Amino acid sequence: MMVKQKEGTEMLRDKKEKSNIGLTVILIFGLITIAFPLYMAVVIAFKQPSEMTNSISGILSLPAKWSLDNFREAMRVTDFWHSLANSLFITLATIALSIVVHSLIGYVLGRSKAKSKFYNVIYLYLVSGMFVPFAILMMPLVKQTAKIGLSNMFGVILLYTVFYLPMNTMLYSGYLKNLPLALEEAACVDGASTWRTFWTIIFPNMRPMHATVAILTALGTWNDVMTPLVIMSGDKNTLPLAQLNFQSQFGTNYNLAFASYLLALLPIVAFYIICQKQIIAGVANGAVK
Amino acid sequence: MLRKNKMLFGAALFLAGLFVTGCGKEANDGKTVIELLHYKPEAVGYFEEVEKKFNETHDTIELKISSPNDAMTVLKTRLIREDNPDIIGIGGDYNYSNFIDAGILMDVSDFDGLDNIKQNYLEINENLEFVPTDGIYGVPYMANAAGILYNRDMFLEYGWQIPETWDELISLCEEIKAAGKLPFYMGYKDTWTCLSPWNSAASSLADSTVCKDVNRGLTTFSEQYRVVAEQMKTLLKYGPKDFAAYSYNDACTAFARGESAMFMIGSYAVPQIKSVNPDINIDSFVYPAASEKGENYLTSGIDLQFCIMEDCENKEAAYEVLRFLLEDENVQAYMDNQNAVPCKKGDFTLVSMLDGMKEYIKEGKVMDFQDHFYPAEMAAEALIQTYLLDGDTDKFLKRFDAEWARYNRDLIKKVQKYEAEHREGEGQ
Amino acid sequence: MKKNGKSRTFLLITIPIVALFFLFNTLPLIQGVVYSFTNFRGYGSYDWVGLRNYIDLFGDSRVGNSYLFTFKLAVVTTIIVNVLSLLLAMALNSRIKFKNTLRGLYFLPNVLGGLVVGYIFNYFFTYILPELAKLMGFEGNSMLANSKTAWLAIAIVCAWQSIAMNTIIYISGLQTVPEDVYEAGSLDGATGWSKFRLLTFPLIFPFFTINLVLCMKNFLMVFDQIMSLTKGGPAQSTESISYLIYNNGMSGGQFGFQSANAVLFFVVIVVISVAQMTFLGKKEEQL
Repeated sequence: MMVKQKEGTEMLRDKKEKSNIGLTVILIFGLITIAFPLYMAVVIAFKQPSEMTNSISGILSLPAKWSLDNFREAMRVTDFWHSLANSLFITLATIALSIVVHSLIGYVLGRSKAKSKFYNVIYLYLVSGMFVPFAILMMPLVKQTAKIGLSNMFGVILLYTVFYLPMNTMLYSGYLKNLPLALEEAACVDGASTWRTFWTIIFPNMRPMHATVAILTALGTWNDVMTPLVIMSGDKNTLPLAQLNFQSQFGTNYNLAFASYLLALLPIVAFYIICQKQIIAGVANGAVK
Repeated sequence: MLRKNKMLFGAALFLAGLFVTGCGKEANDGKTVIELLHYKPEAVGYFEEVEKKFNETHDTIELKISSPNDAMTVLKTRLIREDNPDIIGIGGDYNYSNFIDAGILMDVSDFDGLDNIKQNYLEINENLEFVPTDGIYGVPYMANAAGILYNRDMFLEYGWQIPETWDELISLCEEIKAAGKLPFYMGYKDTWTCLSPWNSAASSLADSTVCKDVNRGLTTFSEQYRVVAEQMKTLLKYGPKDFAAYSYNDACTAFARGESAMFMIGSYAVPQIKSVNPDINIDSFVYPAASEKGENYLTSGIDLQFCIMEDCENKEAAYEVLRFLLEDENVQAYMDNQNAVPCKKGDFTLVSMLDGMKEYIKEGKVMDFQDHFYPAEMAAEALIQTYLLDGDTDKFLKRFDAEWARYNRDLIKKVQKYEAEHREGEGQ
Repeated sequence: MKKNGKSRTFLLITIPIVALFFLFNTLPLIQGVVYSFTNFRGYGSYDWVGLRNYIDLFGDSRVGNSYLFTFKLAVVTTIIVNVLSLLLAMALNSRIKFKNTLRGLYFLPNVLGGLVVGYIFNYFFTYILPELAKLMGFEGNSMLANSKTAWLAIAIVCAWQSIAMNTIIYISGLQTVPEDVYEAGSLDGATGWSKFRLLTFPLIFPFFTINLVLCMKNFLMVFDQIMSLTKGGPAQSTESISYLIYNNGMSGGQFGFQSANAVLFFVVIVVISVAQMTFLGKKEEQL
């Protein structure tokens, strides 16, 4: 259980020599718990209703023919491309807005809260929002967003930006400790405005935290059901919402249903495979700060 | 640097967009727009057709029909948002009573089409009002019938007879079991399916006014529902072993595939069943709860009726939509599409799977669903499921009475106040 | 002059953001509290009922059961998740082959949506698990159909998804433990369990705190899994607090009463989080 923070080439060689094969094997076997439900979903999604039996061998066996018909039908029923576009739009807009707004307020509060009582109170006020469960806001928010014409995707984006504000403000103002004051003071001496200093010096330097915020916000918003369900019910579907409707209507055709579930999982899995390293690093970064 | 400015600009544009899209939804081309929201997503095909036909034949009115899934939640969220449709298509149930009580439905007493609606359905509606009112708030469109669906081919093959009393039903079940078949499939994982046999049994076994009488303090559920509860428990013996494991969809699928001979569910399940097995030959009979022949009642209530919202600005246009929906041709199309029973007088052709219930419908030996009087938040269906799982009838009935009193507290107060005033009025 | 410019910019940034936060967080919170004193159905007219909703909350067996269930689920799942993810983190942090690939694969469940995962497991519990149980000679009943086991099925699905996140947090904790601590430890003869208890655990305690608080908070608000697996059944045994508030407040006619429930839930969450952090903070100092 020896741990190194930084591994030099020497260490790497050392590691290769002493790899714990037994543990590796156990861990690989452990993967069955992750893979089995997904394997099952894939197999069922490709089968035809007539191939479904309740015996174990029947469940585990591969489909007789790898046909994409179920997927095609599921895409049609859930209006896949539109739902996907809506989900993408909501998530990307939320990320963009969060990075801009939350880094700004995080910067202001991080720099001021130690010196100013006023900003310290503001900081505590914003961060305490983390404890407010959505359940209590839900019903008044439905009324409120409707009144100002925001029972739509824009309302959802705005709400997400507010929901994630407490956590992200904490992350950004915490990260600011890593950036020495001297950085901005130098710019200040050169005559740059505070606003300009932020965008040219602070904002680019907060890049690792931007990644973390983007990832945590994305994971939270992409899969969220509750907010779009109550805020824009009846308006447009997001990918998870489409599954909710799909379930009540076609839940009986498990092959079609599983094809649809897989389609709903696909985008985020693809994204995860591409950005796996950054995602894991980002999540870890968020926890440490 | 440039990139950053662009990003900021984008964000500003985006924020501006947020507030611009907020306002200005109305695009008016001189037509009166009537929006109809109904809670029958399974009938979406029919409604799309009607929408098209209506708009083709009307120049001044544009009809928009929405058929959302989970419509009651959508409707309630829209009510919370104060974004009301003009016409709503709902069932004759507790929601309807609540909507009248909340004063959000328009009095349609002066609608000419009411003359063609069968009297007993108007009475059912009147009965649903918490306290009697002078107005009429809904135009009954379709009724449904709940009882027992059976696999006609299987019955013919084995020569089984339609039971007419409770004892006959039990011996039929024994016979089916002896033949190695499963009598019933049950989808009790979805709690609401428990209500179907419950309502059917209660139609013949409990007073039709039981809920109102309880509110008036005249009787208790413990008195009225005991036999109903015991019958439900008895029937579990003839269902799948793990009766709470399967959902409504699972049960429909199983019945469609011939895994059981009968299925206690309303006629609304037939399209779902046929979607799995289009060739299945289904008929239905009335749940024989009574111990004597001829004492059974068919459970039938208003499955779909149209109400106009109080704040609808174009009453005449809304009436025009209702008149169109009530045209014989459209009524028949809905019946064929959804296996429904019309609330309109006239000579319509019932679908064959209601053959077993025809006589009852003709004679008017029908009783409204009991659960149309139950408040949704009381979750009576979950109480029933709980009872079926633990089997303690006394505990269940006591709990039913207690929960009823708790969830209907304001209503009971209101009813008793009304009664007191009414009695005084009579005395004077 | 410049100083003034800076504080003005700071104010200009702060005011609109705080206003937005107030508008969409604090204001609805206050409104929720106001509704909790009414018998509002969500539409139509309503009356003030004073404290009645709050008094009712404490006499309502359904609300009581939802709190019991939610707490049972949260506590048990938190324990399961933390034990398993600590073990997994230590394994994934030791000298193994394919380290990065394995880490990546074990993190996968965390990116999947709770609702869809729930639907997949729903099938697993209804059709596959009973068959497996029969093969092994048990009675093949669905876990979701039995009020004694349904909560456990939900706990399993919740754990399956959240172990990933906690493992990553523990791994980053383990990476902060410097090598020389162990060297010093092994000189003193610390091995195995005692090495973990005396050396590793105290050093990663802050990460343990984060995980505990995070888990509790997330599981107390469980909603998607309930919606997709049981819808509160069987026999109302798996109605979580959020589910009840949504179901009876939005679909049912208990807007006012469930608002009171939501207020209570809010207070409970704050109390638990503060208590957890103070208690664990004290422990942290002791270690």
